[in-house]
Amino acid sequence: MSVVSAQHAPAARPMPMPTGWAVVARQLRSVKILLPFLVLVAIWWAIQTAGNFPERVLVSPQRVFDTMVLLISRGVIAEYVSTSLKIIGIATAISVLVGVPIGFAVGANRYAARSLEGFLRFLQGVSGIAWLPLIIIWFGFTHTTTLAVVIYTLIVPIIFNTMIGARAIPEHYGLALRSLGAGRLRLITDVYLPGALPSIVVGLRLGMGYGWRALIAAEMLVRQGGLGDLIFGARTSGQIDRIIGGMIIIGTLYLLIDRLLVQPIENLTIARWGVLRK
Amino acid sequence: MVQRPKPVRRRLWASADGRRFIAGAAVLAVILYGQTVYGMATASSRLDPSLRNASGPSNVVVVLDFLPDRFHNERVAQYGTFAGRDGSLNRLRLRYVSPDMLRALSEVAWIARIEPIK
Amino acid sequence: MSMQASPIAATSNARRALDRLTWTVAPAVPFVIVFAIWILATDLLQPSKETLPPVSDVLGAIKELALSGQLTTNVVASLYRLLLGSMLGVITGLIGGVIVGLNRKLAESLNPIVVFFNAISGIVWLPLMITWLGIGTALAVFLIWNTVFFIVFQNAALGVQLVPEVYEQSVRALGGSRWHAMRTVILPGALPYILTGVRTGLGFGWRALIAAELVGAATGLGTMIFDAAEYHRSDIIVAGCLIIGVIAIAMDRWLLLPIERRTVLRWGLVADAEKER
Repeated sequence: MSVVSAQHAPAARPMPMPTGWAVVARQLRSVKILLPFLVLVAIWWAIQTAGNFPERVLVSPQRVFDTMVLLISRGVIAEYVSTSLKIIGIATAISVLVGVPIGFAVGANRYAARSLEGFLRFLQGVSGIAWLPLIIIWFGFTHTTTLAVVIYTLIVPIIFNTMIGARAIPEHYGLALRSLGAGRLRLITDVYLPGALPSIVVGLRLGMGYGWRALIAAEMLVRQGGLGDLIFGARTSGQIDRIIGGMIIIGTLYLLIDRLLVQPIENLTIARWGVLRK
Repeated sequence: MVQRPKPVRRRLWASADGRRFIAGAAVLAVILYGQTVYGMATASSRLDPSLRNASGPSNVVVVLDFLPDRFHNERVAQYGTFAGRDGSLNRLRLRYVSPDMLRALSEVAWIARIEPIK
Repeated sequence: MSMQASPIAATSNARRALDRLTWTVAPAVPFVIVFAIWILATDLLQPSKETLPPVSDVLGAIKELALSGQLTTNVVASLYRLLLGSMLGVITGLIGGVIVGLNRKLAESLNPIVVFFNAISGIVWLPLMITWLGIGTALAVFLIWNTVFFIVFQNAALGVQLVPEVYEQSVRALGGSRWHAMRTVILPGALPYILTGVRTGLGFGWRALIAAELVGAATGLGTMIFDAAEYHRSDIIVAGCLIIGVIAIAMDRWLLLPIERRTVLRWGLVADAEKER
């Protein structure tokens, strides 16, 4: 009856392993996700066959697939994908390391927060791509330029959401800990950081969405490798198969990172520290 | 001193999200390093036996299974001094390739063979 | 009774007034700081006009563009494309979102496709669309449509799904048709989300527009900036960026926010319109 006895209660019967139809059903569910795409590819194939388009306009799914396999085997895709992923990775790291402290520092004070909000909204209105010509003048046609644009795009939502997260923490949490003698470091690690973390991770996820698109756009202009360079460069030589293949890779990669990496972090963070509303 | 309660540590793989994250990290690792690892694993089969124990700069022919794009020419040229073709378009001559560069060259996955210049 | 005139009351009144003043002025502070740093950097570091155009140059460029009519032409061209693309995006997004929101099975089966195309929305279509549509207004309108559509679509679908089914069922139980239920219950219920979607979509559309004008249409703010880049006129580049930002803020604060406030609040719908001060 007491809590103690519940803790020492014998383990419940072991988790039933999925058997027979349950296993099949689970596999079928993941196939169900692919079904709409198969339909789409079928429609694509039908249009291409029926329309008899020239190669510069539309190619068959088969052709796109073959070209992509070719490019992968020749190491082209690996390098371009690598470049893009590394830039988004570094940009994310820098944006978090710089943006979260700024968000905390500013979020603490009501006036400072209101002050910075307006400025951040302005920066959000001017997309990183608009600044690109100026940044190219500063850093040239290099990866630094691309990185700068992506950081610019990523850091604003992170700062915003850190501020929101920090402000949403009820004051008495911190006061309670301080009344028990906790120093500032403990306050940060035990109250502010965990409290704001769900909001920060949401901001991170938003930012990475915007950042990925900004990355592709910047790569199209800077032309120093990366997936944006791949699809934009293929345009001049009319290689539609590369363009479509590249677009598919861009979408798939983003989905991979978002669903398999960022979203789990978001869910785990909220599950662990999501005392406050998201 | 404020006593911090011991948080219940759950293993990353215990939750569905944790497993998903691990899977994602694994896929990412394969995407980023898969081809590199494959290249390193097959390096010995790529290098001609006579070049295996090169002590000084060598002159080699990089043989590809396909007609190279500008992309491939540029990458290959970074390992030595590009010296034109060796007969057909998919055979590239490289001079003054140091032993280190030769080893790195042998680990490139899309190079078919590396032979000495005849 | 004489408490009103006491020094304590007086100082608290003054403090309240000061608070309010600080509150109103606060948003301007970062801009002032940035301008100050800008002017200082120009004076102390003496960078080339190309690297960091002085404030005076940028302001002069704005004046020059305004006077020569170039500013108006470009702004109007850009806004026209934004309007066209956004209208298409909102209408299609609304129709699509409502249809999908009403039909759970459809929503579930279409979801993976929507998510995928959302991942490549906007600029990623540029190379393909240049091949199909060529450079020009059609290209820009498509890219904006693409951006706005997905945002409005998802918000509309969400809004429709979140309207409690019991409202619709009660209208139907009293003899109303499906259309009647839609008009009186579902659409108004989903309205807060739809309007948020429109507002967000337009913001994103504006940003996407600049990227769309990358490759150059004949006129437009993005084109203006990139042409300026070719002549190394950094002052025009910065001027263009500032104007883009100002329009973004003006559009959101003075056009979209009031619409959202007035419709949602007037109809007494629960919304986060109050979130905005």
